[in-house]
Amino acid sequence: MERRPGEQAAGEPADCGAGGGEGGDDEPPQGAGAQAARPEARLTLLLRLRAQTKQQLLEYKSMVDANEEKTPEQLIQDKHIEAKIEDLEKEVEEVKTAFEMKKLALDRMQLSIALQKNLEKIDPKTSVLMDNMKHVLKLNKLIMKSHQESWDLEEKLLDVRKKRLELKQSSENKLLEIQTEKNKQKDDLANMENSNKIKAMQRNLKMEIQITTVIQNVFQNLILGSKANWAEDPTLKEIVLQLEKNLATI
Amino acid sequence: MSVLRPLDKQPGLNTATILLVGTEDALLQQLADAMLKEDCASELKIHLARSLPLPSDVNRPRIDLIMFVVNLHSKYSLQNVEESLRHVDATFFLGKVGFLAMGAGQESHCSIHRNTVTKLANTYRSPLFFCDLEREGFRATVAQRLVRMLQICAGHVPGVSALNLLSLLRSSENPAPEDL
Repeated sequence: MERRPGEQAAGEPADCGAGGGEGGDDEPPQGAGAQAARPEARLTLLLRLRAQTKQQLLEYKSMVDANEEKTPEQLIQDKHIEAKIEDLEKEVEEVKTAFEMKKLALDRMQLSIALQKNLEKIDPKTSVLMDNMKHVLKLNKLIMKSHQESWDLEEKLLDVRKKRLELKQSSENKLLEIQTEKNKQKDDLANMENSNKIKAMQRNLKMEIQITTVIQNVFQNLILGSKANWAEDPTLKEIVLQLEKNLATI
Repeated sequence: MSVLRPLDKQPGLNTATILLVGTEDALLQQLADAMLKEDCASELKIHLARSLPLPSDVNRPRIDLIMFVVNLHSKYSLQNVEESLRHVDATFFLGKVGFLAMGAGQESHCSIHRNTVTKLANTYRSPLFFCDLEREGFRATVAQRLVRMLQICAGHVPGVSALNLLSLLRSSENPAPEDL
């Protein structure tokens, strides 16, 4: 804080003195010159002043514009403008590409015309150009032929692929049929098992098995009770062992 | 006292005002004389100041251009300029501020490296001129350049604004600020 006043004091005299002094020095010759000059010079001075004022006005205007804050509406407008600018840029691009295309076409036309003129000048039979052209034509024909061949081959390939696809589809259908058939069989089997007849048969079978088991036990006990040595007679032994079988496991 | 703002007053008719800020009074005075000798259609007003801020009670015309003069031989002048820069409004740096590094001719006497000044100028996005004010011919060249710049900054050249000039100067001499 102590330094500031000092700086100001130092700045003030220099600032004022120079400003006043230089301004004073400069003004008189300017004014005198303008007064002494012819009216034309005055006119140019006025015109120059007008241009100056305009420029300065522009600067102030831009300053004011820059200081103004943007409202949302303006932002929206800006967005619109940006979109428009994009559209316009696209248009410009399109026009540019169109122009390029036209230029290329024009170049080609010019080239062909130049070639024509050149050909007219030169003897057609001896020119190298003709030979070259013929060669190029020959090559073109070759290229076309090979193109044709490749197209044919591709067509064949396509046919084969088509056939393969058809086969695939038909096999798929067949597989599906087989699957359905199998499912049907399974369903039938399940239905049969669940039917009353089967249940009755199973019940009968169970009963029969039980009866047979009882009979087996009776026979066994009979043999045992007769006190015969069944182990010695092979036929009897076989019978006893057979009676040992559990019929439920069959 | 307050911050210096551009375009806060109405311009004088056909008048362009430059403010030279620097510690070397004598050399600045010589430079001012050289500028007044230049052939110029506008009326020039040259204010000299050792430092900013300027006293507020004085009636002073609109200032169109501020040139900060750094003497490469004295560190104090750089300090002084850096102090003064704080009293300048940001909008002034849109082309209405320039830096003048004097004493560039005698490199052996320099106590400030050139890079320091270049960095300073780049920080404030303002043009920097190297010059040697002690020789008559160089002084005249600098004066001519300053007068031309002042005319543009005061709006005396139709179609060219200070900002315009600034962008032109930057593209030719200084690297883009992003490179720093």
